[in-house]
Amino acid sequence: MSYDMIPLAAPAVLLLAAAFAFLRPGRRPRLVPGLIESAALVALIVAIGSAALLVFAGAHTGPVLGLAGVGLSTRFDVVSVTMLVLVSFVGWIVLRYSRSYLDGEARQGAFLGWMAVTLAAVLVLVQAGNLALFVAAWIATSVSLHRLLLFYGDRVQAVRGARKKFIVARIGDGALVGAAILLFSGYGTFDIGTILAEAREGAVPAAAPWAAGCLALAAILKSAQFPFHGWLTEVMEAPTPVSALLHAGVINGGGFLLIRFSDVMLLSPGVLAFLVILGGFTALFAGLAMLAQSAVKNSLAWSTIAQMGFMIMQCGLALFPLALLHIVAHSLYKAHAFLASGTAVERVAAIRRPGPIAIPSGRAVLRAFALALAIYAVIGLTFGFASKPPQAIALGAILIFGVAYLLAQGLADAAPRVLTRRTALYAIAASVSYFALQTGTEWLTAGALPQTPAPGPLEWAMLTLTVASFGVVAMAQALFPLWSDHPAAAGLRVHLSNGLYANAVFDRMIGNWSTRNQS
Amino acid sequence: MNTHLKIANVDMKVIETGADAAARQIPPLWPLSSSVAVNPFLGQMNMSLAKAGALLARVGGVSVTMPRDWYVARIETGEISDEDLASALDASPHGDKPLHVAALKVAMRSPALGRKALPTVADLVAEASLTDWPGILAERIGSWAGGYFDRGQALWAAPRGRSAWFAWRAYATHDLTPEIMGLKGFATFVAEAPDSPSEAIARAVARLGIDEAALESYFHQLLFSLGGLAQYARYELWRAELAGETDSAITDLLAIRLLWEEALFSLQEEAVADEWRRVARLHETPVEAGGDDVIGEILQEAFERATQRSLAETLAAPAPTVGDDRPKLQAAFCIDVRSEVFRRALESIDPSIRTLGFAGFFGIGAKHRRFASDVEELRLPVLLNPSISSCAGCETDRDRDLATRYRARAKRAWGRFKLAAVSSFAFVEAMGPVYVGKLLRDGLGFASISAPNDPPPRFETELDAAARIAAAETVLRAMSLTENFARVVLLAGHGASVVNNPHASGLNCGACGGYSGEVNARLLAILLNETEVREGLAARGITVPEDTLFVAALHDTTTDRVTLYDRDVDAAAHSADLERIRQWLETAGKVARGERALRLPRAAGAGDIDSRARNWAEVRPEWALAGNKAFVAAPRIRTAGRSLEGRAFLHDYDWKQDSARSFGVLELIMTAPVVVASWISLQYYGSTVAPNAFGSGNKLLHNVVGGIGVLEGNGGLMRSGLPWQSVHDGERLIHDPVRLSVCIEAPREAMTEILRRHEGVRALFDNRWLHLFAMDKGGRLAYRYAGNLEWVPVDFVSIGRDIEAAA
Repeated sequence: MSYDMIPLAAPAVLLLAAAFAFLRPGRRPRLVPGLIESAALVALIVAIGSAALLVFAGAHTGPVLGLAGVGLSTRFDVVSVTMLVLVSFVGWIVLRYSRSYLDGEARQGAFLGWMAVTLAAVLVLVQAGNLALFVAAWIATSVSLHRLLLFYGDRVQAVRGARKKFIVARIGDGALVGAAILLFSGYGTFDIGTILAEAREGAVPAAAPWAAGCLALAAILKSAQFPFHGWLTEVMEAPTPVSALLHAGVINGGGFLLIRFSDVMLLSPGVLAFLVILGGFTALFAGLAMLAQSAVKNSLAWSTIAQMGFMIMQCGLALFPLALLHIVAHSLYKAHAFLASGTAVERVAAIRRPGPIAIPSGRAVLRAFALALAIYAVIGLTFGFASKPPQAIALGAILIFGVAYLLAQGLADAAPRVLTRRTALYAIAASVSYFALQTGTEWLTAGALPQTPAPGPLEWAMLTLTVASFGVVAMAQALFPLWSDHPAAAGLRVHLSNGLYANAVFDRMIGNWSTRNQS
Repeated sequence: MNTHLKIANVDMKVIETGADAAARQIPPLWPLSSSVAVNPFLGQMNMSLAKAGALLARVGGVSVTMPRDWYVARIETGEISDEDLASALDASPHGDKPLHVAALKVAMRSPALGRKALPTVADLVAEASLTDWPGILAERIGSWAGGYFDRGQALWAAPRGRSAWFAWRAYATHDLTPEIMGLKGFATFVAEAPDSPSEAIARAVARLGIDEAALESYFHQLLFSLGGLAQYARYELWRAELAGETDSAITDLLAIRLLWEEALFSLQEEAVADEWRRVARLHETPVEAGGDDVIGEILQEAFERATQRSLAETLAAPAPTVGDDRPKLQAAFCIDVRSEVFRRALESIDPSIRTLGFAGFFGIGAKHRRFASDVEELRLPVLLNPSISSCAGCETDRDRDLATRYRARAKRAWGRFKLAAVSSFAFVEAMGPVYVGKLLRDGLGFASISAPNDPPPRFETELDAAARIAAAETVLRAMSLTENFARVVLLAGHGASVVNNPHASGLNCGACGGYSGEVNARLLAILLNETEVREGLAARGITVPEDTLFVAALHDTTTDRVTLYDRDVDAAAHSADLERIRQWLETAGKVARGERALRLPRAAGAGDIDSRARNWAEVRPEWALAGNKAFVAAPRIRTAGRSLEGRAFLHDYDWKQDSARSFGVLELIMTAPVVVASWISLQYYGSTVAPNAFGSGNKLLHNVVGGIGVLEGNGGLMRSGLPWQSVHDGERLIHDPVRLSVCIEAPREAMTEILRRHEGVRALFDNRWLHLFAMDKGGRLAYRYAGNLEWVPVDFVSIGRDIEAAA
């Protein structure tokens, strides 16, 4: 027993609080809401303490409390500690929210208990030091989440969504178990730190590429990538805090898996290239589908799919530090967006108040893109282009295309000078903030995560494809008002808003609308 | 259109009449940004509760009264007495009612028949094919309609400027989902449907073999099955008709729903044809109230009579004595039931404080543009058309107006950057960490809330002196405020400060169209302080002393704090008065918060009320109008000094002043505020007795669609009415389902005369959607309106004594 076990205290207090909650599963359970929130706050403090320990003791794996390398052990590194702090912070906010939100529900105590269990499972997952614990926490996360998705189990739609999630999750579990077996057979140990170190030194057992493939599959399924995205847009049948926890915590499991095993993933360039294509496609497809959603939570769900796609693409490009940054940034944003989704009425009403939107012409859009690239060049030179891998530069270009959209709105002919100045200022602030965060993350994760390797022909092809396709979509987006009303676009809108029917096909395959399944 | 076009022997005129009649059975649903309470039984006002129950059971499987055991429990505890049952039974107009109370008590113990709607074709096909077609079509229509009615949620808006029928066909010819689900050839079927929705309806009617007599019933059912969606389309029609135009969205929806019926019929014709013929025949039979419906109605009536008994006792309690000396403060509040608590608290502080009740729009029917806004907000009762327009700020505020707009536009551009394809990734990576701060701010409730504080509003419509004076006179007379003015007269509108609440506008002032009431109050206060207006009023017999100052205010019903807008007017001579008034209001707020905390869950005392308003996870920030049971139009002295528990609308009315003017004010009260109150009362009633049909469901699952309404969960049809959390605290109902008791102190003949002139209002009382009482000169409930322009004397107080003696 040593301080190495301290991070395990975070899930432990939550599980204790959950046990208490299950003793009082009903309405307005005395002490339970306060106790659950306090447990989450303690978990956050523990996580922050773990971060201090990491600074003090450096990256390492604690001893295994168990048998034959299987049991409780904690991995200390930037990845695990970042995730611990992130997840416990979001978890605390979400449980604090649930404290008021669920008041008076018939199964209030049970709800809080399962929320705490789910949060604990994620906290174990992100700190797991050995394969067995990792797999167990992974499965526990989705099993306890399943209980939350069926909190209103008499709702037909809740059952339909949860059923799809269940099927996808079990396949994902299988893939992960497969990966763990392959890794163990290849490296002869359960210890994740050892596996990563050996992989980084170039040990490539025959099983490694297969393991990378299994890991990729598990990640794709967990993070709702095309064509397995459908379930995520259908699980708003549970109270809002469940969605917040799902979208800000659980869904990151896929990306976290790839980052955790980044050294192994690097052994298989083919798998990485596949992740670039699938993630990039999902990001663009879901990003467009999101634009056509008229319900706020559905729009947020599509946004998550897109953001997860982008993050998976970053993993495929071997930009693991940036993927980690993306997980952190997205979780914080999405937790807030879900919890605050009740503001949608006021937000929509406010849109029309200041008058019509100035629509940029084609020329203005071109000017905006040129300006954005100029900003990129200036900032890039400041932050040092030379030291960055081409992948990071390409990614920066993609993000700058996004910033161009902001500029384009200010450059529209009808936009007043003040608006132009303001949007330009916003654009510069966003760019600087982005590159500062990127540089900070790279500095923090140096050593903990593998360097991005120099691109070979395959990687160059991927880079070109990615930058080109994101560039085209960004351009189309900026010109959007000029073509979106065209009758030719109307059909496209219908197909995209329905997610290219992947979900409908899935429903049909499993007989999800059959009345036989509605007991 | 050719009115005698016939498709397969179906007369188009008949079809259109049937569709129109069905549309009028559907109540309108206002968008959430300016939502007001709507009577869900609006289409059934010309029938009794029992008959409406039979009708809604047939088309929607809805029960319009509480479950039997709910009444039985109240009879057993004595809350509903045998006298209540006897008098309710006696008053029941139905022929096949139980003969006596004993028979009623036997009948009520047998459980009511299951309320099952007649099946639609989709229901029959679902049974035959074991596929949930009603669910699929609701999800598909809902998905399309969310985009069609969207007011700005989706960045990629659905094509606009077309009829719903045209837009849906464009959507459905592309949508592959129905075919993936097994409805082969649906897109082609839609593409080949008639261009005119009426013709499509006629074709479906012919194909399904619906007889003329069944049209309205069947159409009503189909529209009813579209829930809030049909109601929103009905709202579009309502708005159009108020402006003298028309709108086809609701007929289009009917055509869409019928096209699905037709397609599904073809899918399983053999399996369902026989059963369908039987159902179509059932639609032809006229709706009649059954024995079950009648018993439900009698039990409900008995419960209401029990409620009226306690109301009568409260009103019969001795009134406090009030001197004739000049009051130090007169404060006019909205008639809203929430004002009652605050008024009582305020009056208890000092005997020189008088309060009044009046509809919270203060007679100013304006469409208003707030500061730096192009959007015209209809801040008046939804029954009325705006007659004037107003805006915040004047010419000297122009620069500030522009600067505010630019800030808002930059923020809007940033909002689009946040959501657009590709740029959303840049947004997240650059700005995500900022959300640590936002999560902390909102999670800990640090965000500050403040009362609306636009620059003073002004009329944009040029009103000459005569018009201004006339408006001032009308309002003051309607308030029965024509003499003995205090030095300060507060005109307090009301609003609710809540965060993260899609139903926020429902907590605002209904008389101001779902907005907060400060704009109307400020407009009136400014008007009444004008020298020209004062002089004009004096010439018309209303002398306002020179030292009287009208000041607008806003009563925040969530926190019971009152904001004064004294900077709008020249208050230099009244600063000491205003200082004292602020202290009074602060004290009154404390008292009111303490009283309200007793009713709210998780509120130990007055101190917990403020934090609720800022809590982004709070689903019950206040109880709004839950519990409303009575409407009293009488001088305040009839209700002063007694607690009406925040359950009564209080309208000041002095018939003695009004009788000289042929009861014009009484007519106004009975045709406007009373009708609005009936909408509120019946919305609460409907959302309580039939939450699935007339309530918007569980707040925990709400998903705002198009900025106009809520879905419950992933998708499907928009919901309408109150969320369950607004009438229920988790353990018990907070709203007792009663139809409102309207108590007016006025001569019965005058009321009878008004009812005779207003058929629609008379139907409300004749069919007992509202109860009407005449108060005597002691303020007691003396006569009950028995329908058919007749009155019967009542003696609640002695009945109450008898019961006590017997117990």
